[in-house]
Amino acid sequence: MAERYSSFTRGGTNWFLQRVTAAFLIVVLAFHFFQLHFVNHAADVTFMGTQARMENVGYFLTMVLFLIAGTFHGVNGVYNALVNQGLEGTPKKVVLAVLVLAGIALIVQGIWVAVAMAGWT
Amino acid sequence: MSTQQEQPQEPESQEAPEDPEMRGAESPQQERLKEKEQGLAQDEAVDESDVEGETVHLKVFRYDPEVEGKQEPRFDDFYVPFEKGMTVLDAVMYARDEFDSSLTFRHSCRQAVCGSDAFFVNGKQQLGCKTQISELKQPIRIEPLPHQEVVKDLVVDMDHFYDQMHAVEPYFQDEDTPDTADLEEQRQSPENREKIKMSSRCIWCAACMSSCNIAAGDNEYLGPAAINKAYKFAMDDREDDEIKEHRLRILEQEHGVWRCQTQFSCTEVCPKDIPLTEHIQELKREAVKKNLKFW
Amino acid sequence: MSQSYNRGLIEDFGRWKEFSAGMWAWIFHKFTGWMLIGYLFTHIAVLSTAIGAASGDPALIPQGEDVYTQTIQGLESLFIIRVLEVGLLAVAVFHILNGLRLLMVDLGIGLTAQDKSFYASLVLTGIITVASVPTFMDGVAI
Repeated sequence: MAERYSSFTRGGTNWFLQRVTAAFLIVVLAFHFFQLHFVNHAADVTFMGTQARMENVGYFLTMVLFLIAGTFHGVNGVYNALVNQGLEGTPKKVVLAVLVLAGIALIVQGIWVAVAMAGWT
Repeated sequence: MSTQQEQPQEPESQEAPEDPEMRGAESPQQERLKEKEQGLAQDEAVDESDVEGETVHLKVFRYDPEVEGKQEPRFDDFYVPFEKGMTVLDAVMYARDEFDSSLTFRHSCRQAVCGSDAFFVNGKQQLGCKTQISELKQPIRIEPLPHQEVVKDLVVDMDHFYDQMHAVEPYFQDEDTPDTADLEEQRQSPENREKIKMSSRCIWCAACMSSCNIAAGDNEYLGPAAINKAYKFAMDDREDDEIKEHRLRILEQEHGVWRCQTQFSCTEVCPKDIPLTEHIQELKREAVKKNLKFW
Repeated sequence: MSQSYNRGLIEDFGRWKEFSAGMWAWIFHKFTGWMLIGYLFTHIAVLSTAIGAASGDPALIPQGEDVYTQTIQGLESLFIIRVLEVGLLAVAVFHILNGLRLLMVDLGIGLTAQDKSFYASLVLTGIITVASVPTFMDGVAI
């Protein structure tokens, strides 16, 4: 129980990063929603329009950061929700591995998509 | 050596202390308590008139693995004559004395200091001796604390709760044994006392732990009571910084403070009005600040 | 000692009337969180058609006949997709507003009003969602 402990404070860093990504996501997600539903209509999205946006390096980098922050926040959130519900032992390790792999895969795929959108392939 | 008494240090000035709480300004905790009192006063005015001179209908959870008929939990009805100022504990004791002597529950001081009689009354964790019958909607449902195994009737197994409390080492610690020549009082400033005052009120009743959904799901979670106890010692200036770090290391494990999702149920049910969530949050911030220093 | 009785989780949803504001906030935040992470994976999957568009016939792009444009506009022409998007908005707005509330709690600000701020997030979510429906439902047939 509480007798064995390590000084590696993974709990603390993740908690903190969850809040940091949260603050970042609040701003960028709101912006993203506005951009794709109010400034432009989602029904009017075309590859050309997307490319025009993604070609801008600043916008591109923001979107990539958005993806990374969102993935971390989401995967960390799901992991913690499961631990709160009592996930422990081997199932916990398995779930953590699956989540981390899924998260990495999502980020890699997302960056590949972003590059394709910018027309840099 | 010398038996000279050390003169108490004169305060540097006669001005009011800087801490706004010491000057009578209201902390969020005090505001909350004021609101609570006002709310309670309103309830009493409404409900007391209804119950005078009547019987009170209690529905009490019964379970006894050794008695057939009670091996599956059931609710028993008791009709207890009401007296002014009657508490849930009074009512349940009357039921046991007059109607069913096998009704089992823990109780001791009957004045909200021992923490024995925490029950789940009308869906909320409360101390039996502190809850007025006149404020409750009838029929009054009395059950044992949630998320803990029931031993018999209203008695729950408190072992897990005590394990978590002991895991935070709830006692004063010092790295070195003091030199006998240096023995003197360990002084604590009034400000420091104020800071840990509320956290020292815990009576180990387990109401908070049983109200926390995370404690219910995650068996290894330390729980609000244990973390609050650790807060009381960690924030006490009389312990060394090394001990404080040692305490924080226990608290910042995966099933320590980080499990708290700020649900606030613990703060709502604490019979001693301890701002538990606030204390847990403060410890989280302490842990983060401490770790940031290593970057 | 004789065996003790495990009543299981008392806060089962049958007793939902006894839930406090903080508990509802926690439940909704979790639920909307799961929805959003599920959506994120789906979203990236749909956007992956951009790879096909970029590596396909470049002549299709100016006319909007590439697979990316076709997929997205095709989806957007479905009524049910529009409805789901409004749902997504509600879910995201609640998660953001309650998340802001939790950030305040973590910083120790406004702890006395924590349950009021939950109700405020609910109300604001409702208002923003309803206000956005016209924009979201624009240009689609039932």
